[in-house]
Amino acid sequence: MTKEELITKLSAIVKPYIQNEEAFKSLNENTDFINDLEINSANLVDIILDIEDEFDIEIDNDSMEQMLSVKATVEIIQKKMNI
Amino acid sequence: MVGNDLVDLQFAKSESNWQRKGFLEKQFTIKEQQLILHATNSFNVVWRLWSMKEAAYKIVTQQHEKRFFAPHKFECSFISEAEGIVFFEKNKFFTTTFFNSFYCHTIAQKTNDKLAVFSSVGMPETIDFEIKKRLQELTGVLVEQISQRKSSVGAPLYYQKEKIVTNSCSISHHGNYGAFAFTLQK
Repeated sequence: MTKEELITKLSAIVKPYIQNEEAFKSLNENTDFINDLEINSANLVDIILDIEDEFDIEIDNDSMEQMLSVKATVEIIQKKMNI
Repeated sequence: MVGNDLVDLQFAKSESNWQRKGFLEKQFTIKEQQLILHATNSFNVVWRLWSMKEAAYKIVTQQHEKRFFAPHKFECSFISEAEGIVFFEKNKFFTTTFFNSFYCHTIAQKTNDKLAVFSSVGMPETIDFEIKKRLQELTGVLVEQISQRKSSVGAPLYYQKEKIVTNSCSISHHGNYGAFAFTLQK
């Protein structure tokens, strides 16, 4: 899976939780879940659970700690999937 | 230092499903999961614990200017119906949580902090103005002369020109509500 494909899948996962449509339209690697997309922190856990289901991976607490941006999240998914 | 967090309970009901598989395990320590599962009102305990963690996190980000998502590192325990303690690494934060049928609001303070906390709950759109108004009442500086700046991690700070007015400040939004808590410069 390419990085672009990963980002496409990830944007479909975060879409139900976003509160800033404009920032979502221009979603890219540097997009921050909370500062840009204005996702409630309580929904971050939903995103992490959705990622685990979608990519069939397990996200440990240390990885979860970093997952505040598209870039960090893509890197963690790639690492867990060995791609 | 002060931190606060508000949870709109109706919004939490519709936007988050705490009974979803894996949700409690990701968010809470084993001890906290026990508190939730043995409670008569598990929903309220979930959101009380969550707001305690968030309020404490908002103090940590003011101290270290680093953001992270590590709910397990903040372990909560209850002292009374309203009061609690959050442990984070070597820090201890004292919390007070207010509940009504609409929202749950927690204020966290470092345990040795003696500064008076000013706080209120309102609408998300007017929180900034509410803070300025309260600062005017407390300091005599006019609302028009007060401006908000943000730290590198987004923590709010209030200034009168170049002079910082708040010692510590925290703003929280969720659903239909906004809330603030601040302490003044000595």
